[in-house]
Amino acid sequence: MNGNIVIIGGGIAGMEAAKALLALGHTPILVEASKELGGHVASWHKLFPDMSSAKDIIDRLRADVRGANAFLGTKVISFNRLADGYSLKLSNGIVVNASAVLVSTGFRLFDATRKEEYGYGVYDHVITNSDLEAWFSGKEDPRVPENVGTVGFVHCVGSRDLKACNGQCSKVCCATAIKQAIEIKERFPYAKVYCFYMDLRLFGKKYEDFYVNAQRDYGIQFIRGRVSEVGETIDGGLQVKAEDTLSGKPLKVRLDLLVLMSGIVRNDSIRELSEMAGLETDSDGFLRSVDNEYSVVESNRPGIFFAGSCTGPKTVPETIAEARSAALSIHTYLSGE
Amino acid sequence: MMDFGFSLSKSSTMDLGKVDDLRFEQLCRLEPGAGICIGCGSCSASCPAGRLSGMSVRKVLLALQRGRSAGEMLQCCMLCGKCTMVCPRGINTRNLILSICKIYD
Amino acid sequence: MTERFATGFHPFVLPFLAGMAFVLAVCAVKAAVVVGQLDKADRKKWLLSLIHPNLIIKNAVDIVLDCLIHVKLWKRNRILGLMHSSIAFGWFMIILLGHLEVLVYFPGKLATFYYPIFFDYFVEGGQHTVISKAMDAFLLLVIAGIALAVVKRFWSRLFGMKRTARPTLFNLLGLYSLWAIFPLRLVAEQCARAGNLTVAPWWAYSIALCTFMAVLPFTRYLHIPAEMLLITMRNAGVGITRPHKGMARVQADSCPNCGVCIDACPMNADTANLKNSTVYLTRQLRRGNEPRVREISDKCMLCGKCTSVCQVGVDGPKLRILARAARKYRITPDFSRISSDGYDTYWASGKILYFSGCMSQLTPNIGRSVESILRKSGVRYEWMDRDGGLCCGRPLHTAGRLKEAAALRKKNEEIIRKSGAHTLLVSCPICYREFSESYDLGSTKVAFYSEYFRKMMDKGLFTLEKGDTCYVYHDPCELGRGCGIYDSPRALIGKAAAIAEAPKNRAESVCCGGSLGSLSLDFEHREKITRASLENLYASKADAIATACPLCLATFARYADRPVKDLAQIIDEQIIM
Repeated sequence: MNGNIVIIGGGIAGMEAAKALLALGHTPILVEASKELGGHVASWHKLFPDMSSAKDIIDRLRADVRGANAFLGTKVISFNRLADGYSLKLSNGIVVNASAVLVSTGFRLFDATRKEEYGYGVYDHVITNSDLEAWFSGKEDPRVPENVGTVGFVHCVGSRDLKACNGQCSKVCCATAIKQAIEIKERFPYAKVYCFYMDLRLFGKKYEDFYVNAQRDYGIQFIRGRVSEVGETIDGGLQVKAEDTLSGKPLKVRLDLLVLMSGIVRNDSIRELSEMAGLETDSDGFLRSVDNEYSVVESNRPGIFFAGSCTGPKTVPETIAEARSAALSIHTYLSGE
Repeated sequence: MMDFGFSLSKSSTMDLGKVDDLRFEQLCRLEPGAGICIGCGSCSASCPAGRLSGMSVRKVLLALQRGRSAGEMLQCCMLCGKCTMVCPRGINTRNLILSICKIYD
Repeated sequence: MTERFATGFHPFVLPFLAGMAFVLAVCAVKAAVVVGQLDKADRKKWLLSLIHPNLIIKNAVDIVLDCLIHVKLWKRNRILGLMHSSIAFGWFMIILLGHLEVLVYFPGKLATFYYPIFFDYFVEGGQHTVISKAMDAFLLLVIAGIALAVVKRFWSRLFGMKRTARPTLFNLLGLYSLWAIFPLRLVAEQCARAGNLTVAPWWAYSIALCTFMAVLPFTRYLHIPAEMLLITMRNAGVGITRPHKGMARVQADSCPNCGVCIDACPMNADTANLKNSTVYLTRQLRRGNEPRVREISDKCMLCGKCTSVCQVGVDGPKLRILARAARKYRITPDFSRISSDGYDTYWASGKILYFSGCMSQLTPNIGRSVESILRKSGVRYEWMDRDGGLCCGRPLHTAGRLKEAAALRKKNEEIIRKSGAHTLLVSCPICYREFSESYDLGSTKVAFYSEYFRKMMDKGLFTLEKGDTCYVYHDPCELGRGCGIYDSPRALIGKAAAIAEAPKNRAESVCCGGSLGSLSLDFEHREKITRASLENLYASKADAIATACPLCLATFARYADRPVKDLAQIIDEQIIM
């Protein structure tokens, strides 16, 4: 029992857990597949509902985990059970024997080209939520016109959609759409913004205020109807078709920009990892916790814990709370033996 | 009948207690998808007949669920299958429509 | 060679004669009934075909090739072909030569019917003639065939058949009596030739023949006489017009229950569908089991693969469409509210009129690529349903709502005829099949885009640059088996990219599982079918999948682990300007 802890995935879940474990006197090893720590949040502009800067949070976390060993651009390539822990072989050739492992591999955004009817990759002015965040952060994007007159947000792209192989709600898109719609309005105050939704799921603290804000202060229009198809007008604009289910009439609208709220789907690495480590996956494709009420951070294998979106879509505060909870569970697990 | 100079108009409130569920249950047996609609309107939005005639599978299904009839709306259905393609709940809307045509007037 | 008995009779021939009389009478009645059920014009056509010299020859050749030699079966499965032709051809030759033998040596006895069958009992020293020697050889051939049949009955996997149809009790009775006939004949003949005139084996032989013939009309062996009728009717051009009667009945009776369709059926990727194969449809049609006929008919995706592998040419999809057509609905479509005006603004006179179809609204890449190709090639066109249009009518047609489909076709015909376009260009195989089979568009020709683009390429209207991607082309059911178009998509892709073939391709292509043909197959149960179809494509080791159908495209794109592209998109990407 060497007390080593390996954290797979250096997004906010992995970093927050590393920070908490450092505070508890451990020296965790962070294994991150990409070239830098931060995960999806690092590529986000602002966070709902307080519009705090994502960069600030990531910068703080990066500073906080400096004491941990971090292997960047590294993957776990094999996973063996030992008598009192696990032996992990990394893609950089290093073999680590760990007493505890935290899986915080996060999620993947749904590939919007799979919903061809929405025209992502087909039409000139269709982008996804993550494209828009990058644009907010200053990245050039020719798909965003200089002057935006009308913008549409399509909720539930690749979520709650069996045809996209994901029947579950992605939980964060409704609030993200409102956040992005507000940000668009801040940049283009005269733009007309429409959100096309099936159900608005604004369950978190102050989310409802956020919604009211969007309606009252920004004049964002919410249309209850799922967009079924997108066409192109002769002048290169977009034509969106939906049913306005509240008035019971088919509806079409010409847009300058369409933003697809790509949902949260399981990370592809989950399948390999679950096979290597003997972890179970749930019916939604994400990793399976011991239960979904009380022991969300515990896996079916001793010494392997979960934090964040590897077990399903989570908001930022939920992920942070779960990371701390997992760190404490690991600490308790290691001191118990 | 005495004419009091006014008449009572029929209440427009739906009384769910008076809805006859039997036929809808029969429909659910023929097409289990009838019970899982979330009313997103994808079917109606993509419907080529809806564009021309105002038909809406979503409305028909909702009406039947509430014990009202709406069958004549299906007379324009061309069975093209677009609604089946777009339904996020994977309802076999074509079988739903044919089943409605079988058991409702 | 002398006759042993002056009477030339023994009671053991009676079971044979009774069986023979029974089977002939039943077959005659059945044939009369189905001929009576034909439409008047079809009946006339069929009767005339029986005296038409060319058709007489064609019928004879087809009957010999299909019913005796089993040529199609040989192509499909050699060992099954060997088994069937040994039994059928061997038996036929024994009967033929037997009669010849009697005709040559005892012509007066030909009218007894049983003399050729029990020859060695009634005649002494008959075994030395050439005819007899040949008959002995054929008997051994039949017995070898029976031996194969026994092996197949219990170890069908040895014959490359994963699944076979489950036999009914009557079928088993027929099967075992058929097996018994030939060894019993051999034993009886050998005894008689050795001078042992014990009648027991002759009785057994006769009873086996009687049993076989008595159960024949109630078993799959009815296919033997029925197939002959089917061949003559098919050659006469008789079509299936009524769900259970006439030609439909002949087809159902002609099904030999071989079960080849079970392994071929794409739906059987999900074993829950095993009972919905065409072999069970014909069985239930014969039994008149309406609820099951409905269930089987509604479930099928109408991909047509069973028909493409069927030895006798049972048209599974057509039988099902007609069974669906017999359904009563209380709400019937009425398209009078849908106007065909609003389209006459399309001024396509002298141009191509492009019809993309309903499904392509959900796959915008197809329409955009078609437009781009036409524009780059300088071809003038109008897009009829750019903003959505009427359905082509194929889905109503396959759902068995034939009158309604015709009404819808009429609306489209009005629009297209009014346009004055020289060609209707179609990029959806479902629409294309309906347009080419059931529409009357006057001077406007219907062209599928792969055929049209190939002609454009051959004329030099565009040139393709060969890219690095390797595509495997999936043959859409309605296009390949439906319309016989296999080569033009491959010719185009071959110029634009490397091309690989899936193990099951062309007429053997596996349905994508998205078919509109099925009425009752729900989304959940289609996934297995799609995945099985994808596995077949993956086996080609190609980097990407190409197809030429919006429905296949959308269905594959849902689960595929590699890119799926439409033919038009591939061409458009590789056009050199």
